[in-house]
Amino acid sequence: MWDTIIINPMTNILVWIYDVLGHGPHMFGLAIILFTILIKAITWPLNASQVKGAQAMQELQNDKEWLDMQKKYAKDKEKIAQEQMRIYKERGINPFASCLPTLIQFPIIIGLYQSITHALSVTPYDMLKLARAIYPFQNVEGIIPLNSTFLWMDLGRPEGILQNLIHTSFLPNGFPLLALIVALTTYVQSKLTMPTSSNPNDQSAQMSSMMSIYMPLLLGWFALNFASGIAIYFITSNVLGIVQYAATGRANWSNLLPGGNKKSSTKK
Amino acid sequence: MNIKRLTLVSLIALGTLVLSACSGAPVSNNWHGLAADAERAYISSGTLVYAVDLKTGNEIWRYPAEIDSKLLFYATPVLTADGQLLIGSAGTSHPFVSIDPTTGKENWTESFAKGAWLASPLILDEKIYAPNTDGFLYVLDMSGKETADPIKLGGALWASPATDGALLYITSLDHQFHIINPTEGVVSDPIDLGGAAPSSPAVGADGVYVGSFASTVDFIQSNGKHEVIATAENWIWGSPALDGETLYYADLDGKIYSLDLATGSQNWDVVQPDGPIVASLVVAGDRIYAATEAGTFVALDLEGKTVWEKTVGAKIYTTPVVAGDLILVAPYQAEFVLAAYDAQGKQAWTFTPAK
Repeated sequence: MWDTIIINPMTNILVWIYDVLGHGPHMFGLAIILFTILIKAITWPLNASQVKGAQAMQELQNDKEWLDMQKKYAKDKEKIAQEQMRIYKERGINPFASCLPTLIQFPIIIGLYQSITHALSVTPYDMLKLARAIYPFQNVEGIIPLNSTFLWMDLGRPEGILQNLIHTSFLPNGFPLLALIVALTTYVQSKLTMPTSSNPNDQSAQMSSMMSIYMPLLLGWFALNFASGIAIYFITSNVLGIVQYAATGRANWSNLLPGGNKKSSTKK
Repeated sequence: MNIKRLTLVSLIALGTLVLSACSGAPVSNNWHGLAADAERAYISSGTLVYAVDLKTGNEIWRYPAEIDSKLLFYATPVLTADGQLLIGSAGTSHPFVSIDPTTGKENWTESFAKGAWLASPLILDEKIYAPNTDGFLYVLDMSGKETADPIKLGGALWASPATDGALLYITSLDHQFHIINPTEGVVSDPIDLGGAAPSSPAVGADGVYVGSFASTVDFIQSNGKHEVIATAENWIWGSPALDGETLYYADLDGKIYSLDLATGSQNWDVVQPDGPIVASLVVAGDRIYAATEAGTFVALDLEGKTVWEKTVGAKIYTTPVVAGDLILVAPYQAEFVLAAYDAQGKQAWTFTPAK
């Protein structure tokens, strides 16, 4: 079921893009980048709802009713939670709207990871499965095996450069350049989209703050340990996300500075 | 920790778990490699290589003694004339290892290749020619030391080289076929097969025969002249089997072909057991043995008529091996990893590794 709905279509799109590009060296990396742009376009409504949700949460932080409620029930956390839910409900705000798109990315990431490893077929058994997964209209004989080279990477293996200089049990593949870029771009993206709040009890802001720490670490760890093709997806997706958010004019660049998220002003 | 925070952390942990379950290892899984001598069968099966007593089907030894998750063995082990069993790892760590076939003790281990080992090495004139998925053919002495610069061939090497005693013939997965003069270190211009060729060629008197994903059989002479001499309905995965003037090969449609090399015509119309055929055909005496993905192991006579047929119970991709009076079959993801049949198709024993 998972293969039929997620893996096989993703694999076929990747292979088709790779074939259209001329199926030579570096083309599978380009195919991943183009595929990510496609995924971003498809998930645009989700991202738009994230922007809208984050904006609503930001506005709520300066709302009089919200601030009064926080003050009134300052010593009763349970009551605050109840009142928060009431206000969310009344105003049609989903407190998870800002982090939901990120979580929805997980199946896409898993699907993409499996599609990449599927398409690159590092063992005969993988190749046999790939042969069965490719739709009949594709020129599979001509393009198999896919060329996994992209820049200095083998997209089917964890990335690393300077392997001859850096080789430790912690960094078996050399200097993890892509993992650092993944962590950095994830951090920048999450910080830019993080709602600002002057309210220390604002749980939404706490969650966003946690996400901005955990997600870069998590995705950086994935990039460090998994096929470098997935890191290409992360970086492309993050950069597109940053550009997309900046284009709306709502990017909170001050959040990138230490203490910047304590400022209450936001761009509108 | 409040409920929202708990939910968030749980979701992240779940995502981590699910993604981790995708396996971070570059080489995830594959079917077994199988070889045998007069006394023992040797089977590579993921993290371990086993030696099995041909008389009883009992385990004699396993390598390594302690499982190392970085080591995965899928290549066919190769026995050398000086008493070594050679195999490389396809795991995240990929040493090339020499094992004592009688005891299972490690003779030596060398790490020089960047890629996984899926192909078995060839021994010629006291030298080991070891093809790696990094696209290099490594040249070693019998103690595992590199004696020359590795030969760069390009695409991943999944198949063992074949030799006519003078030249090496090897396929690479990038559709190319290479002829190498090992004494002079000369590599001829590659020959495009039109499709990937994951198996070794069959060596004949005047040249070699190789099947490919282009669904063709190519005949290639030592001077590089080549021609397509036969076709198939689907990909040809296994090596052709040469028996005198007849070439046997099979395809992923499950069809078995018998090509008369003298006339270029097929000897029979349709011989098709019950499933795709990935494993190479084996010709021994007056029998042709074929194993199918549907899990059927069949013995045919040289006219293509079924002599006997056995349901093994799991997919078979590994090429069967004849060992004395037995023929060995290694099904994939079955309850047992190895089964032995006699010439009449009676099962002699099965081998299931102890946990």
